[in-house]
Amino acid sequence: MATTVVNPLREGLRLARTPEPSTIVIFGGSGDLTSRKLMPALYNLALQRLLPATFSIVGAARQPLTDKRYRDELHTAVGEHSRTKPLNEEVWRSFAEHLYFVGTPDERGYDTLGQRLDRLDQDLGTNANRLFYLATPPAAYEPIVKAIGAHGLRGSTGWSRVVIEKPFGRDRESARVLTETIHTVFREDEVFRIDHYLGKETVQNILVMRFANGIFEPLWNRQYVDHVQITVAETIGVEERAGYYEQAGAMRDIVQNHLLQLLALVAMEPPAAFDDKSVRDEKVKVLHALRPVDADRLSDHAIRGQYGRGFVEGVAVPAYREEQGVAKDSRTETYVALKCFVDNWRWEGIPFYMRTGKRLPKRSTEIAIQFRVAPHQVFSREASEGLDPNALVLRIQPDEGVSLKFGAKVPVQGIRIRTVNMDFDYGASFMVDAPDAYETLILDALRGDATLFTRRDEVDQQWAFVDPIIDAWATAPAAPPIYEAGTWGPADADALVTADGRAWRKA
Amino acid sequence: MAQGVTIDAAFWGAEAAGIVALERELKRLRRAQSAHAREQARTVARAAVLNLVVYADRELHARRSAQSISDLASRHPSRAIVLLADRGAHEGAEGRLEMHCHLPTAENATQVCYEQILIRARGDADERLASVVIPLLVPDLPVFLWWTGSPPVAGRAFGQLVGLADRLVVDSADFARPEEMLPAIARISAQARGRFGLTDLNWTRLTPWREIVTSFFDVPAWRPFLDTVTGVRVGFAVDMDGRQILPSQALLFIGWLASRLGWRPIEALAPSEAGGLLFAVARADGARIQIRVRPRFERGLADGDVSGVRIQAERDGQQAEFVIKRQPDPRHQTASVLLGGERRWERTMPLPSFEIVELIGEELAIMGSDPTYEEALAALVRLG
Repeated sequence: MATTVVNPLREGLRLARTPEPSTIVIFGGSGDLTSRKLMPALYNLALQRLLPATFSIVGAARQPLTDKRYRDELHTAVGEHSRTKPLNEEVWRSFAEHLYFVGTPDERGYDTLGQRLDRLDQDLGTNANRLFYLATPPAAYEPIVKAIGAHGLRGSTGWSRVVIEKPFGRDRESARVLTETIHTVFREDEVFRIDHYLGKETVQNILVMRFANGIFEPLWNRQYVDHVQITVAETIGVEERAGYYEQAGAMRDIVQNHLLQLLALVAMEPPAAFDDKSVRDEKVKVLHALRPVDADRLSDHAIRGQYGRGFVEGVAVPAYREEQGVAKDSRTETYVALKCFVDNWRWEGIPFYMRTGKRLPKRSTEIAIQFRVAPHQVFSREASEGLDPNALVLRIQPDEGVSLKFGAKVPVQGIRIRTVNMDFDYGASFMVDAPDAYETLILDALRGDATLFTRRDEVDQQWAFVDPIIDAWATAPAAPPIYEAGTWGPADADALVTADGRAWRKA
Repeated sequence: MAQGVTIDAAFWGAEAAGIVALERELKRLRRAQSAHAREQARTVARAAVLNLVVYADRELHARRSAQSISDLASRHPSRAIVLLADRGAHEGAEGRLEMHCHLPTAENATQVCYEQILIRARGDADERLASVVIPLLVPDLPVFLWWTGSPPVAGRAFGQLVGLADRLVVDSADFARPEEMLPAIARISAQARGRFGLTDLNWTRLTPWREIVTSFFDVPAWRPFLDTVTGVRVGFAVDMDGRQILPSQALLFIGWLASRLGWRPIEALAPSEAGGLLFAVARADGARIQIRVRPRFERGLADGDVSGVRIQAERDGQQAEFVIKRQPDPRHQTASVLLGGERRWERTMPLPSFEIVELIGEELAIMGSDPTYEEALAALVRLG
């Protein structure tokens, strides 16, 4: 095992995050995710000079392609999808020189891949540091991981890591089986399960906001918080993903991963440090404390819906069942609203209302902490008419920022109170373009920092929470209620909140 | 009465009689701006994350820095106080301060409002400068002092203004006599420790060079060459006539290598070419390293900017060269590694913009001082 020799020049460089020389191997190298997200992210890392000194990329997929053809195809794709435009041809040329393709239609293909990797190590002194990225449909995860093991693609020296896209399994059992298979080749600390939400700047800002500041945390508990609302609203429909979405539904697509991650970040206890173990330990504790939904009284806690026809942003859109690739009698949910409780000291009795859906009126992801009203009303009822309870809203997208709602005196004679917003606009304070989530996550994986990736026990607990709900819906006699596209979901979802004397926020 | 430079009121705003009048004028401007925005159904946030005090002794410099601050407003909205020392105007006459203020709008950020104040010190008014800056500082926000040109290290105004600052920004590229100024800056930085941070924009310009040189030696196979360097060559840009010889940046690069790698001075040699510098230093193991810093004419580069670096090393009979060159188009640089004369690796990277606004913007994001810079400076002073 090679020991890492310290590079004395690195000290004091602001760019202390550069990863070690390495190779990234992308399975599904000619697929949609690679050309839309991964390659643009890698190219933008090169543009920001964040890639290691020696670095190469090997794409692998079933159909054969020459290196030249592969580079040409990606040149077009990156030109189209990169967040920075136009493409810097000088940098691309130098970047593409270290971009290769190997066809892996059969077992022999994997041997070829292994030889190619060994040669790159020799030429570039990368010490067999390898990051395997599985950007394929989920069905291919297991065979590829097995092939990595069987063909000895892990180098003899250096580190090897594997990045796996969501969905990780389709229920608790399949996720466990997948983890077992992966563990025959990779240790858990070498497994990086992606939830790209965690790569978003504003999602990470939740942790900074909570734990770098002294003023919020004292209020962050059942004593001061009335309830929490988490919204992940999309305006788009199922688009070209019907094949996947019909099997998944909103529960597997958004709730199991993104929504539960947001919940965990909002509800977790302060970690001892910002590192992979401390942060993920705390998140798992929240998921453990999440009260299981009572399947017999499901409609008190979980509401589903499916979009019908309607208008979104002024455009007439078809119903879900009219979308291409969707069954005419599909029972797949495109909307989920949940009322959850985190049974621990901090949150006992405080409801967390969460909702997500497609074809909602606007695209918005936000977390709202709604505080209790002042214990005693000093001002007359007329004066306080315009007063809403205080709320701290963390807007994740669009218009990333934080706002605090509070009452202020209207400048007239006598007392009249109106709710005003104190606004922090992320974009106006830091005009720097935020890096794409994939840039952050790929760089972290190359550096071996798993803080923003999902650990096996996290995935396990996430499935443990959603599985019973999915099962109950699957066996329920009724189909999900239809909501009109361009509305905030089915009426039952409103009832979920109004039954407690509360209301959904106007997101 | 002798007149100094004319202040362009269209740019700097109307003249105000004293601090109170200035504050009143700012308030009026802010209200007008919000009213205007409200008509267009926008809101204007008054934002300031820092106080930025700029010292300039030419209107051109003052104006240029004011423009940079405007461009920066979206990223680092500030209350900017530009001090223009207009000494020539009233030689010997009693000093007088003249104030102007306005609310510039930054491009793409019309929703952010910030304030720019010009204070012109006519005649010998240096000792009054601090007294007008103090009441104008926004409380609770850090104070950055950006000194254009060579700071008069022993000057009274400089001492007082530095006393107010949390961070001093200088640009050693502007130093007319680096052999005197760099040691002076090193002394300031030694005094500054714990009181204020010190930034040299010229050091910021070196960052991409330092990053690439560093990344060569992240490769395990190449790391050992760092201990067996035999020679270093650094080129810096001069204009065609070779009049402006500004080697500060190249020298800082040498200082950085020397401080990180523990090189010790042996002797300064007479260079063979005009404007060049030649040193011999000793490696940690005592072996001799030849260092050559030489001016080169290159199109498209600012005077003094590093144009290329070549590090030579030898180990176990194998020659290695680590080379970074600017592309003919100065926005890119190419790094290559040659082992035994054979090219092993090459990569082209974009060079970040060296516009002053970018440099300042980067520095304003950082509060603390940079010990690596201080050590590089100290090593450089030792090399003489």
